[in-house]
Amino acid sequence: MLPELSLLARMKQGDEEAFVALYRRHKDAVYRFALLFTGSSATAADVTQEAFLHFMTRPETFDPTRGSIAGWLCGVARNLARRETGTREDATDPDDLSDDTHLAPDLIERDTPIEKLLRNEALESVRAAIARLAPHYRDVLILCEFSEMSYAEAAQVCGIDIGTVRSRLSRARSQLAARLVRQGLLDTPARAKEALQ
Amino acid sequence: MTPREMHPAVRDSRLAQRLDELRDGIATLGPPDSIEQALVAQFRRERARRDRALRPRLWWMPPLALAATVAFTSWIVRAPLALAPVAAPAQYTEAQAGPFIALRPLERIALEPQATVVATEFPRALLAQWGLPVSPERAGEPVRAEMLYSSSGEALAVRLLN
Repeated sequence: MLPELSLLARMKQGDEEAFVALYRRHKDAVYRFALLFTGSSATAADVTQEAFLHFMTRPETFDPTRGSIAGWLCGVARNLARRETGTREDATDPDDLSDDTHLAPDLIERDTPIEKLLRNEALESVRAAIARLAPHYRDVLILCEFSEMSYAEAAQVCGIDIGTVRSRLSRARSQLAARLVRQGLLDTPARAKEALQ
Repeated sequence: MTPREMHPAVRDSRLAQRLDELRDGIATLGPPDSIEQALVAQFRRERARRDRALRPRLWWMPPLALAATVAFTSWIVRAPLALAPVAAPAQYTEAQAGPFIALRPLERIALEPQATVVATEFPRALLAQWGLPVSPERAGEPVRAEMLYSSSGEALAVRLLN
């Protein structure tokens, strides 16, 4: 397998195969990040396409000294997903970050529900609970738990320091756990079944 | 049971389990194939656009190459025949040198304002082109001569030195 930077150099020269190789290598991670962030497969597809379109037309904006292509693509996807969902990051102190109480319902349930993709009701409940987290917590949780990024990579994607990533991830987990407990999804199997009925 | 009632370790363990399940659940999900097709088509359009953008910058190269070729060819055609000049000064006396033989009409030679005499050496067979007698046995031998050239490089007269 060719190193990514070699593929990138060939892509900049107009090599279509190099672009396709890079797309296939990163498309799933970008799509899943967008899917979990937006909760909509259609929006996630749009975000994925826009992210790679940006990568194709402006590859010079990627700086290999500042991180990996995967991280950079997730950063682009994060910005696009935030634009799609109309969210932005104003606060930097985790204590100032709001919970889902300020999120409009249409940010959570999209036109193409992910339920169609996730047939398991419990999984969908977990997904929906993640979607209800404040975006500042949500993107850190998705990057670290589902995109398998290190704290440093997540910090690069979100443009924050590693300490902030740690604190936001801790709060995200805590809020998600509280939400799932309220729904009975972290109880024992018997209690969870009762809660779902 | 509320979050406060559940032991944090138990809660974290069960949360990790739920996240693992969700991770497995989305592991097979990916973007539709149509996105790759659309991106490849866009990549081709971008490449074509970039090629077109580069082309006008080099528009002057073909005309310049053509002009250079014409100029070089013209210079080659019009340049005087480069006969190798004899490096050493002529080691002869006037007695050894014969008379100049006119290769052009005398009126033409008389009107030449800046005629130049150049010592040279060429195959004896060349004399036949000027109507001078050449022995077939000696046709391959070199002959030393002085050429009278016009300012435009036209050979006006010649005289043999030996």
